[in-house]
Amino acid sequence: MVNVVKGVLVECDQAMKQFLLHLDETMALGCRFIIQNLDETHLFISADILTTLQSRIDDLMDQVSFPLVEKDS
Amino acid sequence: MGGLHGVSTRRAAVTLAAGSGGRAFGIKCKCIVMADAGKASKQNQSKTFQCKNLHDYLKTLPASTLDRLYNHPTTCLAVYRELPEIGRHYVIRILFVEQPVPQAVVASWLSQENSKEHNEVTKVLKELQVWQEAPIPGGLPGWILNPIFKKNCRMALLGGGRANCIQSQLDADSKPRDIPFLDQYATERWECVLHYMVGSQQQEGISADAVRLLLHARLMKRDEEDGSPVITREGFQFLLMDTAQQVWHFILQYLDTVQEHNLDLVECLTFLFQLSFSTLGKDYSTQGMSEAMLKFLQHLREFGLVYQRKRKGGRFYPTRLALNIAAGQTSAPGDIERVGYIVVETNYRVYAYTDSNLQVALVALFCEMMYRFPNLAVGILTRDSVRQALRSGITAEQMINFLRLHAHPRMVANGPPVLPPTVVDQIKLWENERDRFNFSEGVLYSQFLSQQDFQVLRDHAQDQGVLIWQNERQRTMVVTKGGHDDVKRFWKRYNRGND
Amino acid sequence: MAGPKKFKKDNDSKKWKKRKKEDDDDYYDDDTNDGMDGDGVPDAAKKNAEAAEGAGVLEDEFGAKDYRPQMDLKQDHGSRPLWVAPNGHIFLESFSPVYKHAHDFLIAISEPVCRPEHIHEYKLTAYSLYAAVSVGLQTHDIVEYLKRLSKTTVPEGIIEFIKLCTLSYGKVKLVLKHNRYFVESPFPEVLQKMLKDPVVQQCRLRRSAEGEGEGEENVDANGFITAVNDKKNVPQFGGAAPAGPSSEQQPTGPDASQGQEKEGEPVPEDITTFYDKIDKEEEDEDEAVLKTVSFEVNQEKIEILQKRCIELEHPLLAEYDFRNDTVNPDINIDLKPSAVLRPYQEKSLRKMFGNGRARSGVIVLPCGAGKSLVGVTACCTVRKRALVLCNSGVSVEQWKQQFKMWSTADDSMICRFTSEAKDKPMGCGVLVTTYSMITHTQKRSWEAEQTMKWLQEQEWGIMVLDEVHTIPAKMFRRVLTIVQSHCKLGLTATLLREDDKIADLNFLIGPKLYEANWLELQKRGFIARVQCAEVWCPMTPEFYREYLLCKTSKKLLLYVMNPSKFRATQFLIRYHERRGDKTIVFSDNVFALKHYAIKMNKPYIHGPTSQNERIQILQNFKFNPKVNTIFVSKVADTSFDLPEANVLIQISSHGGSRRQEAQRLGRILRAKKGAIAEEYNAFFYTLVSQDTLEMSYSRKRQRFLINQGYAYKVITRLAGMEDESDLFYGTREDQGQLLQQVLAANDMDAEEERVPGENPQRPGSRRVGNMSSMSGGDDAVYHEYRKAYLASIKHPLFKKFRS
Repeated sequence: MVNVVKGVLVECDQAMKQFLLHLDETMALGCRFIIQNLDETHLFISADILTTLQSRIDDLMDQVSFPLVEKDS
Repeated sequence: MGGLHGVSTRRAAVTLAAGSGGRAFGIKCKCIVMADAGKASKQNQSKTFQCKNLHDYLKTLPASTLDRLYNHPTTCLAVYRELPEIGRHYVIRILFVEQPVPQAVVASWLSQENSKEHNEVTKVLKELQVWQEAPIPGGLPGWILNPIFKKNCRMALLGGGRANCIQSQLDADSKPRDIPFLDQYATERWECVLHYMVGSQQQEGISADAVRLLLHARLMKRDEEDGSPVITREGFQFLLMDTAQQVWHFILQYLDTVQEHNLDLVECLTFLFQLSFSTLGKDYSTQGMSEAMLKFLQHLREFGLVYQRKRKGGRFYPTRLALNIAAGQTSAPGDIERVGYIVVETNYRVYAYTDSNLQVALVALFCEMMYRFPNLAVGILTRDSVRQALRSGITAEQMINFLRLHAHPRMVANGPPVLPPTVVDQIKLWENERDRFNFSEGVLYSQFLSQQDFQVLRDHAQDQGVLIWQNERQRTMVVTKGGHDDVKRFWKRYNRGND
Repeated sequence: MAGPKKFKKDNDSKKWKKRKKEDDDDYYDDDTNDGMDGDGVPDAAKKNAEAAEGAGVLEDEFGAKDYRPQMDLKQDHGSRPLWVAPNGHIFLESFSPVYKHAHDFLIAISEPVCRPEHIHEYKLTAYSLYAAVSVGLQTHDIVEYLKRLSKTTVPEGIIEFIKLCTLSYGKVKLVLKHNRYFVESPFPEVLQKMLKDPVVQQCRLRRSAEGEGEGEENVDANGFITAVNDKKNVPQFGGAAPAGPSSEQQPTGPDASQGQEKEGEPVPEDITTFYDKIDKEEEDEDEAVLKTVSFEVNQEKIEILQKRCIELEHPLLAEYDFRNDTVNPDINIDLKPSAVLRPYQEKSLRKMFGNGRARSGVIVLPCGAGKSLVGVTACCTVRKRALVLCNSGVSVEQWKQQFKMWSTADDSMICRFTSEAKDKPMGCGVLVTTYSMITHTQKRSWEAEQTMKWLQEQEWGIMVLDEVHTIPAKMFRRVLTIVQSHCKLGLTATLLREDDKIADLNFLIGPKLYEANWLELQKRGFIARVQCAEVWCPMTPEFYREYLLCKTSKKLLLYVMNPSKFRATQFLIRYHERRGDKTIVFSDNVFALKHYAIKMNKPYIHGPTSQNERIQILQNFKFNPKVNTIFVSKVADTSFDLPEANVLIQISSHGGSRRQEAQRLGRILRAKKGAIAEEYNAFFYTLVSQDTLEMSYSRKRQRFLINQGYAYKVITRLAGMEDESDLFYGTREDQGQLLQQVLAANDMDAEEERVPGENPQRPGSRRVGNMSSMSGGDDAVYHEYRKAYLASIKHPLFKKFRS
């Protein structure tokens, strides 16, 4: 027999994978969403979480960015 | 990468402070380079909007249409002019040879090292129906020029034959128009189209035909709610191209629709090619032009390719837009582009020396605008503004090219590089930041009972090109969403076969 | 409080403002709310040009402030160099043929906002205009010249603003002559108006008109003493004569200016003629016969008078007529002939001594551009007892060296007053000490007590305040109550302007007299050409995992100790050692400092390192060819001079402090000799761990330097690093052990170093180690702006576009 699941294949660097694992483990999106941890740079996740996840990623990127220049002083 | 070369000679430590380093160090010497920011992601390339050049367009036409086109010497000349240099040599060499020339002979004209170029040129000439394969006696493959092309190309180069259908005006214009006037007219007309696209407030409006054309070209689309035309992803990219490319792309789209206007494609193309050989600043007569061509002329007039003081005045002036028409991406010198007007600073400030709403609108596609003076707009490149542009489909490369293309003469004089490298890098880094994750919908297959089952299914998925991840040890694989049905069917069949 | 919340877009802007106060960028602690805020600052100075533009400014369809209706473009705008916005911002084309005219003028009347390659932005502020009038510019001249330089008509509101800020300023001076204090002004009506005030009345000192021996003054009908100033020469400074003022002057003839010829663009005549007028006026102010009126004031009531005058919107400009001061003895000090001033040093001093008297104020020069020579020259010009205040003991030593190098002063003349060195102060000409030494309130030794007493009794001719931006206003006020000085010269590299306290300094010390352009000094080879780079070090998965999990105080340690960062550091150190460079590695975090240095076997200096050991390490770094890399904590930010270093690697720093960034850059700015041909001769690396808060701190830190025209190259991969096989922490196992060490470290280790004596200790509030306080990331302006931006994406195209 074979097991068949629909979802989303995620490819990313190792640090970002840790970020996803962290969100999953801490149930930061309200539930677990990783279906299978494939390898260092791949995960298989459930599809319905994708939008929420993407906005969380945006938040992280916003957090580590800072405007390079003041627009006004 | 240069590696750590050029390490300078050692000296006593005390004097080292004086900087004995020479040009040894890296950032500049490519020793330490920024790797990632430079790479264009795969996705972006496919998103990038392609503008066909003349050859790309012509080769999409059926052979019969090409033959009809080659019936006109000017077309042959235009095609000839745009051939790669080696191609022009080949054509000239066999222009007066009546028999097929052995392919091996043609190949021998270039040395072995250049066989790649040779093959490319051979292909282009064939695709354009400039020459055809013909066996020579004894069965060896040979090349022979398309007879229609040959005849008319000779005529174009040597003269003779039927007169140009664009005729010079015999009597002098009482109010002749000079080149600066024509340039300004052309720019204004063309910008009207662009203004319309950006929805600028001070637009003059464009004809219904032009709007239909924008929709047809998918540069704009009907809004789902109120049906009014709104700009598309492709439209944004279109705006950032240079004028010659824009016009050519636009005209190609127009040619797609000529039938709707009861115009003949070949007739229109021929006319365009003739225009491209006309003289800037000279007026031509409309005499002898068919009704259809007069209609076509009115369309060209609207877009600024020709100037006519009066519709029925019997004379017209081609503008630079028309002269550059077939140049496609190899934008001709004397392009109508204005002098560069954009200054980009290392602190991400962008200054646009312009009073044109259109030009400000273009800069505002990816800059936050701060101040507007009578002849200057001040903006700034921010992460937010660039991401906004990326989201609407504009690529980092397009933003950078746009800034480079319109760089103020001060920037150009200081270059190269024309743009501050750190700003260019940063725009790319902002783009890369969005590409850190790659999500693809798919189906996960796991827990195969045997290694063989796994391998069979995996190999099948691979052959179908739908496999996106696999691990043999884990007996796990992922196929694309689209490929799932096929793989599933295959699996069922395979299982039945095994039963 | 971790970062995430801070960046939420929908946060209440009021909260931001509050947070901003708490998380002030200030990196030496400063008490903002000492209840004295705004004290000693005239009302008009609090006026803001932004307000002047009024509410009527429209936005164009792209969200920009549309100033087009408020100004008309001039016909010959091409040959005029600037735009003046109704909000006081001024844009200047650096490539204009009249750039020089405009630049000299703008630097006098406004604050530079950013000065990159092509277009510079300045801003008119009440302070900058105050500075302008105090160096002798008049309201009418400012308005007129601004009009002439501008490509468009100048908005009405700006003219009003200039008038408001300048009409009453700079009209009245406090002058000490023959040891009597006078309030002096060329405008009798102003003095009359002031004397109507009862407080001023009280301060006035009336001597009987027929007084014996004193009756030389002419007294007019109002009882004012009138005087006609004689011709006085502007002092010449040291060996500057050959390269002196003449070479700095703009050639006046129409064909003399190179710029003009090259451009072939006409310079409107009204610009050149007016420039000449202003330039002359400034220099020859005293050659013109100037009539002034004055009244004498009671010395004991100077304080009250100064305060009252500020309230009356007539702040007293302090000018010291040191040549006519016969009471305080001259000291025998001169510049050595070998001391040659660079043009910008000369220029800054001319601003200070422009009219033959000494004006108080601040001179802003980048680190490494020779601030101390300016200070020494000022002391040699005044030739009265001088007090130099600096912010560390090491720096006291260095000032002493500077005096000995540039001037004829010897050991007997220079006295150090620090906790270590207590030279005999009595009778010395130059006293060098630290701010904390004279302001601290703890019990002093008997000797120190005596010195303090002596110091307080002196009437100092000049007080030089080094690194003036680092002193909190409160401490500064204390200094002023202790030290009596005729003239104050502040020296600094970074006058970060959003800090209100620094604005106060304008009135406590005096206006900014001069501010150099970093990029220009770099181009002319006066400071090193530095390549700045931000090296991105990916977090290893294990470290990033912990980073995401741990509490905020530990996060810092994780991103500083990131193995990728360690390896990048090691690689860069090796790379530069092979090149024969001298490298300093900065780490604010002591745990990391020690770990990196010990692991790589390099010497390190931090707070507890003894003075002896410090000197030993520095000497080795200087002379020993085997010691090419040292590790230092933030004690090295300002305190010691490391002229040898040409590479700086920053592995941990104080949150988002722009000032620290600029100071650190300054450590390698000293011009490298004989290196003109190279594109860069110094390198400044900041190593940041990717995807951590460090990234945003790093960006925040860079903003000041970016506005000075510096560009940070982002390096995401160090080429050649893969070939370096024996870098530490290459294996998972080693990385795992490092992680264990980091996790085992206690909270104290995660803190950055606190340098004793630097911060006034605040019991119960531990500032360091608190992530949000260090972030400095709360820029109220930015957040408000951004909120507005997101609320309505303004580009009309995006409104229409639906993807």
